[in-house]
Amino acid sequence: MNRTVLIIGVIIVALVVFVLFAGLGKDPQHIDSPLIGKPAPSFALKAVGTGETVDLATLRGKPVIVNFWATWCGPCYEEHPTLVANARNLPNVQFVGVVFNDTDDKILRFLSERGSAYPNLLDTNGKTAIAYGVGGVPETYFINPAGVVVAKFEGPLSTELLQENLAKALR
Amino acid sequence: MTAALGRFLILASVLVSTTGAIIAYAAGAKRSPEGLRWSQRFAYAFAALMLAATGVMEYALITHDFSVEYVAHVGSTQVPLWVTIVSLWSSLEGSILFWGFILGIYIAATTWINRNDHQEYMPFAIGTWLSCGAFFSFLIAGPANPFLTIANPQLDGPGPNPLLQNHLLMIIHPPMLYLGYVGMTIPFGFAIAALLRGRLGQSFLRPLRASLLLPWVFLTIAIMLGGWWAYEVLGWGGYWAWDPVENASLLPWLTATAALHSAIVMERRGVLKGWTVTLIQASFLLTILGTFMTRSGVFNSVHSFTQSAIGPTILIFLAAVLLFSVALLALRIDSLEAEGKLDSAVSREGMFLVNNLFFVVLTFTVLIGTCFPLIVEAIKGKQMSVGRPYFDAMVVPIGTALLFLLGVGPALPWGKASRKEIQNALLPPLITGAIVLIVGYAMGVRNGWTLLTLLFGGYAAHVTFAQMWLPLRQRLKRGDSFGPALLDAQLRRGRRRFGGYIVHAGAVLVFVAIAVSSTMRTQQEASLTRGQSTTFAGYTVTYIGSEERAEPHRKSTIARFNITKDGKAVTTMEPRMNQYAAMREPVGTPAVYSTIAGDYYISIMNMQGDQAGVLIINMPMVGWIWFSVLMMGAGGLIALIPARRRTYVVVPETAVATGDGAVA
Amino acid sequence: MIATLLLLVLMQVKVPDAEQFVGPPQGTPLAGPQLERRTMEISSELRCPVCQGLAIGDSPSLMAANMKAQVREMLSRGYTEQQILSFFEKSYGQFVLLKPKFQGVNTLVWILPVLAMALGFVLVVSKAKKLETAPAAHAATAAPAAEADDDPYLARVREMVEKQ
Repeated sequence: MNRTVLIIGVIIVALVVFVLFAGLGKDPQHIDSPLIGKPAPSFALKAVGTGETVDLATLRGKPVIVNFWATWCGPCYEEHPTLVANARNLPNVQFVGVVFNDTDDKILRFLSERGSAYPNLLDTNGKTAIAYGVGGVPETYFINPAGVVVAKFEGPLSTELLQENLAKALR
Repeated sequence: MTAALGRFLILASVLVSTTGAIIAYAAGAKRSPEGLRWSQRFAYAFAALMLAATGVMEYALITHDFSVEYVAHVGSTQVPLWVTIVSLWSSLEGSILFWGFILGIYIAATTWINRNDHQEYMPFAIGTWLSCGAFFSFLIAGPANPFLTIANPQLDGPGPNPLLQNHLLMIIHPPMLYLGYVGMTIPFGFAIAALLRGRLGQSFLRPLRASLLLPWVFLTIAIMLGGWWAYEVLGWGGYWAWDPVENASLLPWLTATAALHSAIVMERRGVLKGWTVTLIQASFLLTILGTFMTRSGVFNSVHSFTQSAIGPTILIFLAAVLLFSVALLALRIDSLEAEGKLDSAVSREGMFLVNNLFFVVLTFTVLIGTCFPLIVEAIKGKQMSVGRPYFDAMVVPIGTALLFLLGVGPALPWGKASRKEIQNALLPPLITGAIVLIVGYAMGVRNGWTLLTLLFGGYAAHVTFAQMWLPLRQRLKRGDSFGPALLDAQLRRGRRRFGGYIVHAGAVLVFVAIAVSSTMRTQQEASLTRGQSTTFAGYTVTYIGSEERAEPHRKSTIARFNITKDGKAVTTMEPRMNQYAAMREPVGTPAVYSTIAGDYYISIMNMQGDQAGVLIINMPMVGWIWFSVLMMGAGGLIALIPARRRTYVVVPETAVATGDGAVA
Repeated sequence: MIATLLLLVLMQVKVPDAEQFVGPPQGTPLAGPQLERRTMEISSELRCPVCQGLAIGDSPSLMAANMKAQVREMLSRGYTEQQILSFFEKSYGQFVLLKPKFQGVNTLVWILPVLAMALGFVLVVSKAKKLETAPAAHAATAAPAAEADDDPYLARVREMVEKQ
């Protein structure tokens, strides 16, 4: 019996199994946001259609849901009705859409076909998306009345998931 | 009906492999010749069942039997027949069945080849192979069953992953990879047999080495094909991104290469037996780790299958085999060890030790880099990445050191040599190295690592070439006349040595081509309207226009560019974007114009009306990589062809007389 | 009417600026070929969040193109590499850095391979020493003949050789 081999071997086995086991079940596409608990990056962008400028700073005092999306994104089509319905049901919550790498006419057509209930802002060169740490679209950030980011959600939202994350902003 | 037959065959193979493994181990323990014969029969039966089950699945695929879940998942009546046939390995369940199929062939073939030989070890080897067979049969029967049925089958399916249909290389790459991965089971079985027996006889080294070399050849080619595919399809002009799954295929290759080298020392000096066995075990375990990486959904990769339930099952298997290997090694390694000795550390044997050190540290580095984000997340709960800049920084120095060794190692004589002999062996190749270095510098190479690669590459090329033809030169010196007989002797008698040096020559070229193509690459992004042109790297690119083409399974946008040089037409290049029905994002196919000097590569970034946004890359020597890796594979095959049985005994004698031997 | 116009003028469009995150530029503004070269270099160290492990410099995706444009702009305003990397780190975390920082637990990924090489070197040297000084065991160069092997094939071969 070679004890050195046994001891080194067992250590390797334990390490490998521990690390791989810990990795099981997590989503490799998910990116943790370092912004959570920090003030939301400020922006003031022009809304598509109305042309008015929406400044995030002026929205303090009520929870804000910032949804990043684009017309070239498949799952965004799936998510849109949920967002519109919830925006209508929740008058005390400000919904804001931020669209990047897109054009006014495509966005307007999308909104006129599928309805709209809140301002959708056109981001230039995805700069706002980068500042928020957006990976893919759709992606949604929940900001509390004090202007602090409390949650990030990747992928299309359902009403339940929206409520769950919004609760963090109301706490 | 078909599905039921498939399920029956798989259940039968679970039974056959389990029973066969038990019989084989018992036969080994009791040294029973009758038991060995029975375990051989079970090995053949396992292979037959796997063959039949795969046949049933192919039948279901070809007849578009959408009541079978796997067919409903990957089949489509819209795709060409060849796509239907290869969709066997396009998705998780089918790929595991394909794995079992290859494992069956390997086990049956090796059992057959050694049916009358190595009776001492064969029962344990067959037992180990069939245990692996039992595990994979269990996977196919349970967690990854492709023969499940659907109650209300659809009339058509989505077809396999578009990436599979997009390029021909995607058809050859997976089977090659599986031939490499699965093949590592065979030397593993031999190594376990040697450990269980507590000895590793000289005559058993030959099948051990051959069984390691064959999957090594497949793995070598598979890794290259994977890189080539990425280069031809992904559109960023690179072939290796240090992606976890790419790393997973490299890891067993590194340990297997180390094992092939330490096996030579083992054969000639009788030392390093325990070490070689350890490396062989590691190679097998790393293939299982690779399977886990690709199929557990833990790692983020282009090559990954979608998340599946088989991750935990493979992890349990990996842990069990690891523990078994470690325990067995601890128990028996001392009984294998040191029968021989080294005469001097500054000798070829000594260099083999250093070679093994470098390969193992390289394996460790790639492994730790790949798994480190998992480790950090497990202990600190924080995300981080380890990517190309890290691997480049760590691997380039070790790789360069390996290239240095590739030159110096074979130049040094075996055993003890005088200082004068060592000087005579080491100094002359420096001239070739210097010449290559100067030529490179004159052609514009300025990167320090690339210059070093050129110096060591030239050195190694000189040594390799000299060693390759050494026996021939010695015969000529002895007075044999040059002719077919002499060439015949060179090729046939010294096949192993000759093949080994062909591998080395290919490796030298790969090193140089990688260094040059990655550091001398230039690129430009351009946005061209129809009729507009841009000049880059000596070529003028003119955008002619685009065309839409509809095929049954995809719609393509093809952009056409005229390439001219000094006003003369060179070629037309047609990069394309393919939109598959089943996929949201288009898949690009860049166009590549290859010459001996290098590749001119155009990939579409976006198409808007009359505008085409393109990425143009000029990469010198990149095509040499594919060619040189093929050369390495060919060298491996040459070394594999068995010498005639009589010459096998004679060769070591001539080798002793000339003071020389095989490289791989 | 006048009120809305006034409002529009007052409320100019502004995207989150790098200055919010990493302060004013600390380097010299770059332009021309040097700007392109540095953009490429820094782009190879940032991970594209929508891709699979690719650097933004290597990725054909839209998000990567945006990020590359951001790198280029920051360089042209005089931000240093350090500042640019930390700007991206503030919004994406260390996930975005393909080259792990030499800091905290991350130092291990840089140090362990070096340690392994050092340890391995010591082991190889001691092994070589041990083998060099080992008692001359059974002649190793002609090992096949020296070993008692019960392989029937080898026995046959030996017979044939001896007959010659």
